[in-house]
Amino acid sequence: MERNEVIIKIGGPAGSGVNSLGHILSKFLQREGLYIYSSKDYPSLIKGGHNTYTVRAESKKIESSLDHIDILIALDEKTIDLHSNELSKNGAIICDSSFKIKGKTGVHLSPIPIKQLSKKFNGKYINSITAGACLGLLQLDLTILDKILKQIFSGKSEKIIKDNILAAKLSHDYVLKNFKYNFPHKIKKIKSPLKIFLSGNEAVALASIKAGCKFISAYPMTPATSILHVMANNDQKYNIVVKQTEDELAAINMAIGASFTGVRSMTATSGGGFALMTEALGLAGISETPLVIIESQRAGPSTGLPTYTDQSDLRFVLHASQGEFPKIVLCPGDIEECYHQTFHAFNLAEKYQTPVIVMIDKTLSESYSTINYPNNNLKINRGKLLSNEQASKIKNYKRHQFTQDGISLRAIPGQKNCYHICSSYEHDETGFTSEDPINRMKMLEKRERKLEKAGKEIKGYKIHGKNSKNLVVSWGSCKTPILETQELMKNKFSLLQIICVSPFPSKEVKNILNKSKNLIIVEGNQTAQLAGIIKEKIGIDIKNKILKYDGRPFSVDYIHNELKKRLK
Amino acid sequence: MKSENYFINHKSQWCPGCGNFPILSALKKALAKLNIKNENAVVVSGIGCSGKIPHYLKTYGFEGVHGRVLPVATGVKLSNNDLTVIGCAGDGDGYGIGGNHLIHAMRRNIDITYIVHNNQIYGLTTGQVSPTTSLNFKSKTTPFGNIENPLNPLSIALSSGATFVSRGFSGRLDHLVNLIVKGIKHKGFSLIDVFQPCVSFNYLNTYDWFEKRIYDLQKTKHNTNDLFAAHKKTLEENKLPIGILYQIKKPTYDSLLPQIKKQSLVKQNISKVNINPLLKELE
Repeated sequence: MERNEVIIKIGGPAGSGVNSLGHILSKFLQREGLYIYSSKDYPSLIKGGHNTYTVRAESKKIESSLDHIDILIALDEKTIDLHSNELSKNGAIICDSSFKIKGKTGVHLSPIPIKQLSKKFNGKYINSITAGACLGLLQLDLTILDKILKQIFSGKSEKIIKDNILAAKLSHDYVLKNFKYNFPHKIKKIKSPLKIFLSGNEAVALASIKAGCKFISAYPMTPATSILHVMANNDQKYNIVVKQTEDELAAINMAIGASFTGVRSMTATSGGGFALMTEALGLAGISETPLVIIESQRAGPSTGLPTYTDQSDLRFVLHASQGEFPKIVLCPGDIEECYHQTFHAFNLAEKYQTPVIVMIDKTLSESYSTINYPNNNLKINRGKLLSNEQASKIKNYKRHQFTQDGISLRAIPGQKNCYHICSSYEHDETGFTSEDPINRMKMLEKRERKLEKAGKEIKGYKIHGKNSKNLVVSWGSCKTPILETQELMKNKFSLLQIICVSPFPSKEVKNILNKSKNLIIVEGNQTAQLAGIIKEKIGIDIKNKILKYDGRPFSVDYIHNELKKRLK
Repeated sequence: MKSENYFINHKSQWCPGCGNFPILSALKKALAKLNIKNENAVVVSGIGCSGKIPHYLKTYGFEGVHGRVLPVATGVKLSNNDLTVIGCAGDGDGYGIGGNHLIHAMRRNIDITYIVHNNQIYGLTTGQVSPTTSLNFKSKTTPFGNIENPLNPLSIALSSGATFVSRGFSGRLDHLVNLIVKGIKHKGFSLIDVFQPCVSFNYLNTYDWFEKRIYDLQKTKHNTNDLFAAHKKTLEENKLPIGILYQIKKPTYDSLLPQIKKQSLVKQNISKVNINPLLKELE
């Protein structure tokens, strides 16, 4: 049976072009109209080690991985040893002819003289040669390669692009001529409107630009770093100040300074960097300074597994910083949600004048997916930020005035009549330090009222499916493999996806949980942190738990197997 | 403008005779001399007795957490470079917990005036050693005498590429006013380290102690363009120079950002950002 879908895994040492090759193949297959999901697995080093990039192409939207592969592109012999057992029946291995491959049953060996072909180009363009071979195997012609390379190699000379295409053609021809076996995966073009292919981090960065973020200060930390890269690449186009700081303490405090001055600002980090930011997080809370923080989780504690995924910072983020203050915590579950929730985060931060944390993880940050063009009609809402004209008319301005909804008018430096101090100390309505007990309680209550109001605005959960008996509860990057499993299991369960952990949608979640018979929690951590929060908030103990904490993302197969056992 | 223009009716929390009072007066006088409008000045402080200063000024103020004056001030300046941004920190705040930020702010040459209220002691926590406390000084945490060498902030400033390195003294008000005026006028990072006697906890470095040792550098033949001469001056221990040790012109960080050349960030319209060209690249 011919199938218009394929999973390709590329393996090799770091620095050997694994990612660029994966990117070329992903883009090519997407331009043929397919949906792509690509993910990376790599250790924390720059040269050597073992990296893989997996490209999954389907005719329907996908955003999760499976356990098998159909084509293994081995840039070194080690890749064959490590991954050939993942190959499906009639799968293929593409590698250099010089590699020693032991005979594998049911696997098409496709040795290509890659190194020899590259001699024509002074040993260069191995990526294009390998891509050409793979596309040949999939029986795709190379017509659109030109467009793709032009986009990927933008800024490089015509000659380089032409030579790359020539290199791809050589291996493409070689495959068509030499391998006559019947490879079951034949990719056929699907006509569909143009879509975009991007990572979670790119979605976060683009949403931030769209939301009018003008200032980002951050310290590089995997897996959040590429947010800083995208912002830096576009800083002059969109007039954004991008500041790489000396440490995370500076990063968050600079962003707070920028926001105090009236500019939409953000920082992005992972758990370790966020740990350094926690003191200033409380500063944003008490001084009522809007702030957006992206926390992309990786496996801790301490340095942990720096390039691997995890969902174990939930409790930490929720409780970060001393004292009590309102904090909005959003947990997007896929790349489209990364875009929308990040945009939303900037509005919420200004509306409620408090920090908003968008929690993602390595899986979301560094995986790529095909999505439709995002909604362009998102509206910016700056809350009670005063215009210069409004500010000039105000008498006896009080920055932290007690109000019914807890939100006060926000003036910024440069505005007449409204000078005030914002402080890390508890303060009275004007901003002056106050240790008065009555004022203290009123101020805490004022700030808490903001969270109550936010809870009414934010839809903190989504229900997927209509099965009322079996309910899977989860959050973050688990969403997509669970939904694909739901399809495989023909809607044998519904998914309750928690999107906002603070303020927690207790009432709604309680209603939903009470209606279901079988409750199962799925989380990428050891201690079922979301289940713990649910128990604390609404008193329901979800005992059936699918937990994964090996640093690797949930695959559809993994969840499918676990749910089959539990939903007989 | 008159310095009363920056007066705000708010009760001081400093001890009578505190060396912070002259710094406050000098700052008001300097702002008045430069005709800086109340709404266009932002005074950023951290934690410690120095941190109280924005409470006593009719300007915009931000009192952050301990040690982070310069990151906050940097965020303010880069977001609205039309503002005059002044950072005030103590020796613990600025040279201890926040020391790393100082080095980087200086090498960046961010256009901020940084006044360090250097009383060589932790005052607000009732008398522990600070990074600038003298050797052998007995405090609550060094009952048998301080065994750490004090750091030399001016020497660090010169080595970090600061473009305005100076020292003032709370007992010389007019001199300090002049120094702050020059620091604010200077395009780039200005460090003003101020000898600020703590009348409650520093029994050694008193007004009298300083009176016997300080001298005005600008009344000597010191050349403020000479980095080596400045370095030498930071090493003097028996006589203590006040005034400008070093000043040089270099492009400021904000002047090198084309993003804010035409308009500061805060003035830019964000209601209609078009990201379609970026999306197109991802097709």
